[in-house]
Amino acid sequence: MSDTENQRDFLETDDDFKESPFTDTVSDAREEFKCDASDKGETTSLTMTRKRPESKSSTESEESSQGKDKDTDAGQKDRPSENYQGGWGYWGNWGKSLITSATATVATVGQGISHVIEKAESSLGIPSPTDMSGELKKEETVDVLSTAGDAANDKSSSNTSHIGGAIGMFSSLTNVVQSTGKTVLSGGLDALEFIGKKTMDVIAEGDPGFKKTKGLMLRTSTLSEVLREAKEREEQQTSHLVDTDTTRKAHYGMLFDELQGLSHLEALEILSSESAAKVKSVFTTLSGDELAKLKEELELVKKSFSLIEFDEEEEECIDDDGEEFVKEVTAAMAEMKIMVTADKLVQARKRVEDWMSDINTQREEEEKARCITEEIHASAIRSLAELTARAIEQFHKIAELVLHSQEEKDTVLQQAKILSQMTIILCKEVSVLSKKFTSSLTVVGTHEKGDVLNPLITGIFLEASNSASYIQDAFQLLLPVLEISYIQSYMRTA
Amino acid sequence: MEAIWIYQFRLIVIGDSTVGKSCLLRRFTEGKFTDVSDPTVGVDFFARLVEIEPGKRIKLQLWDTAGQERFRSITRSYYRNSVGGLLVFDLTNRRSFEHVKDWLDEAKMHVQPFKIVFLLVGHKCDLPSQRQVTREEAEKLALACGMKYIETSAKEATNVEESFTVLTRDIYERVKKGEINIEEDWEGVKSGFIPNVVHSSEEAVKPGKRCFC
Repeated sequence: MSDTENQRDFLETDDDFKESPFTDTVSDAREEFKCDASDKGETTSLTMTRKRPESKSSTESEESSQGKDKDTDAGQKDRPSENYQGGWGYWGNWGKSLITSATATVATVGQGISHVIEKAESSLGIPSPTDMSGELKKEETVDVLSTAGDAANDKSSSNTSHIGGAIGMFSSLTNVVQSTGKTVLSGGLDALEFIGKKTMDVIAEGDPGFKKTKGLMLRTSTLSEVLREAKEREEQQTSHLVDTDTTRKAHYGMLFDELQGLSHLEALEILSSESAAKVKSVFTTLSGDELAKLKEELELVKKSFSLIEFDEEEEECIDDDGEEFVKEVTAAMAEMKIMVTADKLVQARKRVEDWMSDINTQREEEEKARCITEEIHASAIRSLAELTARAIEQFHKIAELVLHSQEEKDTVLQQAKILSQMTIILCKEVSVLSKKFTSSLTVVGTHEKGDVLNPLITGIFLEASNSASYIQDAFQLLLPVLEISYIQSYMRTA
Repeated sequence: MEAIWIYQFRLIVIGDSTVGKSCLLRRFTEGKFTDVSDPTVGVDFFARLVEIEPGKRIKLQLWDTAGQERFRSITRSYYRNSVGGLLVFDLTNRRSFEHVKDWLDEAKMHVQPFKIVFLLVGHKCDLPSQRQVTREEAEKLALACGMKYIETSAKEATNVEESFTVLTRDIYERVKKGEINIEEDWEGVKSGFIPNVVHSSEEAVKPGKRCFC
């Protein structure tokens, strides 16, 4: 354990950091990414292990891996590197996508991830990694393959689904967060959601106040209520602070409300529940056969709402400037056959791009770079809040227009498909943005101490994960709306 | 926008298409006036804080509904969670005035079992030459329906602030008297966060439902 501690200190002190041998390892790692990124085997695993020392796990397996990483003490005594193959695969992907865009930042991004972990562990007051891994085991149904103690040695886990695999491979909570962080970077949206949920659990353990919010999430029925509670908590907290202006800049919940995200969500909920009630009442008027037939047809609508899959491969184009997104949402809305445009979403995305180029301009000036970490964080949170608010507004407007239009059944089915596609586009963009902002942050923040940078990075990933969940939940609210629209068309033709 | 307010009122703005509801709201919340604007689809949202007494702010959450008939079935869904509203007609459009009663009846019907406080607003008073509704008849109608009446112009920013403060004060008085209560499952009135300085006031103690933990 003391060994681990030492390493951590050595990595965290930023003066040390600049002159330490670690810088060499970093550039080595980068070299390896360049040459062998596609090789998911040993080379990437080496790269990975170089990052491991930054995590503060205290479990046995961790220590051994850290020993190996350092190449100074224990050496490569225990495990063959292929133990990690499944996991490395993801690192490999991640490396690839970054290399195509930002080779120079690879090492620092890696550092950032570990900082995330550090933050999750240290600042949230997690009791003990082993306790927590027990907790997680109970909750994580995907993880069926390995146990806490020997997870790292379990070869089979590395070949399973990435989340299960990732968890199986590591044995402590720290590592859950770490692996999640990893998957986020490799582009998994499910992982974004996963990190959100997990972190909720994690935070709840160390923060009784948060536990309440979490409990509330289970209790309350609507998403907007949950969000409103969260926002109110933020308001309450910030109302005690003198410097409200700067602190409020980065409060997702309050920004989301200010940008009318909550209102649109609530209005969408109203329409959704009214539609659901209408669907139910239609069902009661139908005879057995008719009802069965209608329900069967409605399954077609439902299908689009249940088959959301995020294709990770496509996410490698991380370096786009949002043009692709703009094109996609504009095209999708044009196909809806209702009078709806994606103008507001497009504007929001453009604003995000403006902020990003501001940041990049400032980043180039070394002097300024030091003071803009907070600014990047604020921009990131604001971007996420704004994009999400506009996404919810888009769905709300769609609901209104669908309800008052009279479309044919086929059109409704088509609309369902477009909306599911739209959800994917939106969530991907959220994920891409969070990655862009965090890599900016890690590049700029190399001089910052870990405890400054880590909460910022974690915050961005958390809100990105929340954003993705809100968007997906809002999308689900559209199901009854499309159902009643379909039913109306069905009745007209029947 | 300051985060501290003692109550949040949700107000709905209704009335015929093109009477200037969105313009009125934009003037009130953003201080701007635009001559041309797209017709509202369904409902849009605005928000602003109003200080009714020194140190006592109320957050107004404003639901701007579409006036167009084609959205009527949708906008109806939004009435229920409002504590009050502006019923706007166009002083230069007689028909919009004649529809006031219908709007009121519809709103009252859809907010059941809750009560809703309306203010009648004769809009576009900057165009006296085109006026088709006299102040007297508007006042008479307002009185008959238990509303107050005010004439406004978003373009010249006449009485815009006043119309919202009059309505807010009206609702605030009723809340204080207990005629309107904060209810679970109703978004019309919500209690907010009280800054430490007003802890002595009665409002600071009143919303018992909020717990600071």
